[in-house]
Amino acid sequence: MNEKNETRMIVIAPSSEITPDQVVRFLHSLGKNIAIKETCYGAMIEGKKEDVQLAVREVRKLDPNRIYSKLRGFPVGDQRRCRALHGSRPGFTQLEKEWEMLSLIEKGLRAAEKNERIAEKKKKGKLSMDDFKRIVKEVIG
Amino acid sequence: MIKIAQLSCGTEYSGVQAEIEKAASIVGAKMVAPDVDLKDIDAAVEEFGFSPSSPQLKMMIARAVQLAHKRYDADAVFIASCFRCAEGALVRNEIRRYVQNHTRLPVVTYSFTERTKSGQLLTRMEALVTIVTRKDLLARERQVGLTAGIDSGSTTTKAMVIRDNEVIGKYWLPTAEVVPSAEEALENALAEAGVKLSEVEAIGVTGYGRFIVGKKLKAKLVQEELTVNSKGAVWLADRQKGEATIIDIGGMDNKAITVRDGIPDNFTMGGICAGASGRFLEIVAKRLKVDITELGKLADAGDYRKINMNSYCSIFGIQDLVTSLAEGNSIEDVASAACHSVAEQIYEQQLQEIDIRQPVIQVGGTSLISGMVTAMKDILGQDPIVPKNSQYIGAAGAALLASGFLEG
Amino acid sequence: MKVFIMPPNSLILFDLVERFGHEPLSAMKAIAERVTDLEIDSPPINVTSEDVKKGLKYAGIEVPSGIRGRLALWGPLIDEAEAAIIMEDAPYYFGCVGCHRTNEMVKYLLRKKGIPILEIPYPTNEEEAKFMVTKIKEFLEGLK
Repeated sequence: MNEKNETRMIVIAPSSEITPDQVVRFLHSLGKNIAIKETCYGAMIEGKKEDVQLAVREVRKLDPNRIYSKLRGFPVGDQRRCRALHGSRPGFTQLEKEWEMLSLIEKGLRAAEKNERIAEKKKKGKLSMDDFKRIVKEVIG
Repeated sequence: MIKIAQLSCGTEYSGVQAEIEKAASIVGAKMVAPDVDLKDIDAAVEEFGFSPSSPQLKMMIARAVQLAHKRYDADAVFIASCFRCAEGALVRNEIRRYVQNHTRLPVVTYSFTERTKSGQLLTRMEALVTIVTRKDLLARERQVGLTAGIDSGSTTTKAMVIRDNEVIGKYWLPTAEVVPSAEEALENALAEAGVKLSEVEAIGVTGYGRFIVGKKLKAKLVQEELTVNSKGAVWLADRQKGEATIIDIGGMDNKAITVRDGIPDNFTMGGICAGASGRFLEIVAKRLKVDITELGKLADAGDYRKINMNSYCSIFGIQDLVTSLAEGNSIEDVASAACHSVAEQIYEQQLQEIDIRQPVIQVGGTSLISGMVTAMKDILGQDPIVPKNSQYIGAAGAALLASGFLEG
Repeated sequence: MKVFIMPPNSLILFDLVERFGHEPLSAMKAIAERVTDLEIDSPPINVTSEDVKKGLKYAGIEVPSGIRGRLALWGPLIDEAEAAIIMEDAPYYFGCVGCHRTNEMVKYLLRKKGIPILEIPYPTNEEEAKFMVTKIKEFLEGLK
């Protein structure tokens, strides 16, 4: 791979009806010269930057708020990052966690589309020493 | 293929992962990483009880727990973190304890910098592999037949001839050219034993020069010094059964090894700084214009507390000693301070990476310097065992193990 | 604009930055440039001891090699960044950087740059997720 190439992960939110198989078939139907690999979370694609980015734009249209994408550092099938050879990496657990969260992000995107104004939740502060002392006295008499 | 489980943080970003894998592959092993997923990490950290801030350290813990619960199969364990990382050092040591408490896998710990190269890791990896692949050989407790052992060390070369479990000849000399030094040591040991080379049934070789010497002398056993010296130490001290700690301070490096029935299960090696080796004592003796063999007695008559030594570096350490002499301190006090400085470094650097088990067996060239034994005793709060011929552990271990090739 | 994301390998942040029309600066970008360079051979991520020395630009020699190596990777991206989104209080699995101290240093270097930064808490429920996404959209649309 070089400057002109790129590898991408296409990740389907757990709330989506779309399956990795559908995503892969759709990507093939674009007729672009890109490598496509089906994965448990969606697909991995690799090819010329412009082709990959076009594919990402198009595949998102299938379910815009429930299909996500990020760049991947390693080329598809790179042995240096193979889970079977080296065990899982922290990046893998992060993807697991982020995938679980995508249904919430989808709701966020819908709110953003409607320009909803969401109030910031006040951060919980710590109890003041005086209050704490008073409570301790009350509790233990 | 021997599988060494790697529990580490920072190796990839320090540029040393390839070096670790290279060292493993040279000795016929491969590094593996126990697979974990999200839920394993949460549960593992809770079970372990130490929750570090760094995710990779949590991952290390999760991998250790996989090994402890036998959900992942490995033959040995390599635990490493970045040098100077406090959080990493705490986790590294506690994981080492945890793995030792829950498994019988041999463990080595290491703190690396970006300068770590495969060569520095080689002896450690080789020892892990030996412990796994030569279990039966390492279980040998009696020497049989007529065998010779050679320890081709960085500073001195030692040879020992043993017949039917009795030492019948030995010799040592400073290492000059590696092969001629080994040949000379062997020749003299054979002369003392009154036997001819042709009568010797097997030769074992260890130490830095083991490969070249082993090839030249057609040795049956060519093995790294961690396992060989351990065997030699427990054989010479007659402590073959049960647990022990071996503190081996040689001319250029030092080792701290814990053994169970003479077989190492945890070890560390220091070798970057001459300040924690016999070399420092040699420089001190030279500066004091005394023979190295007299240094120990002088040290025993001195008081290290009178000397202000602020540095562990052999260069700056000597400077401190020179200043102390100029201030009117006696050479006895200076000799005592020098021995204490080496002992303290061993304690602070090596003995923090292992858990000392009783008894402590002190060996290596420096164990002949009585002041060094006194210094170790002060620091450990107990008398180490110094076996007879304590500088010959490598040669003795090599001769003992080589005899394992004579039967069957 | 080039927007640095923290955690630098976040799928969600990467996607949102791109979705709202900017270029995310991520860990994956730094790693992709490195691992596909055939001239370097220090697997898996091709960080060499020379790189670790380059990390001295961001942290002194007393700092562990793993931190300097990480900073050698992310540092140039921080230098390039024109804006940043930092997700605070993310669960520990976030960030394949793996080292907490490096994470803190990266955030500090970003804050010190004086570029527009959105610091947003990690959401724990639907309401907070809505707040996060709308805030990010507003921040990114406001970048010129």
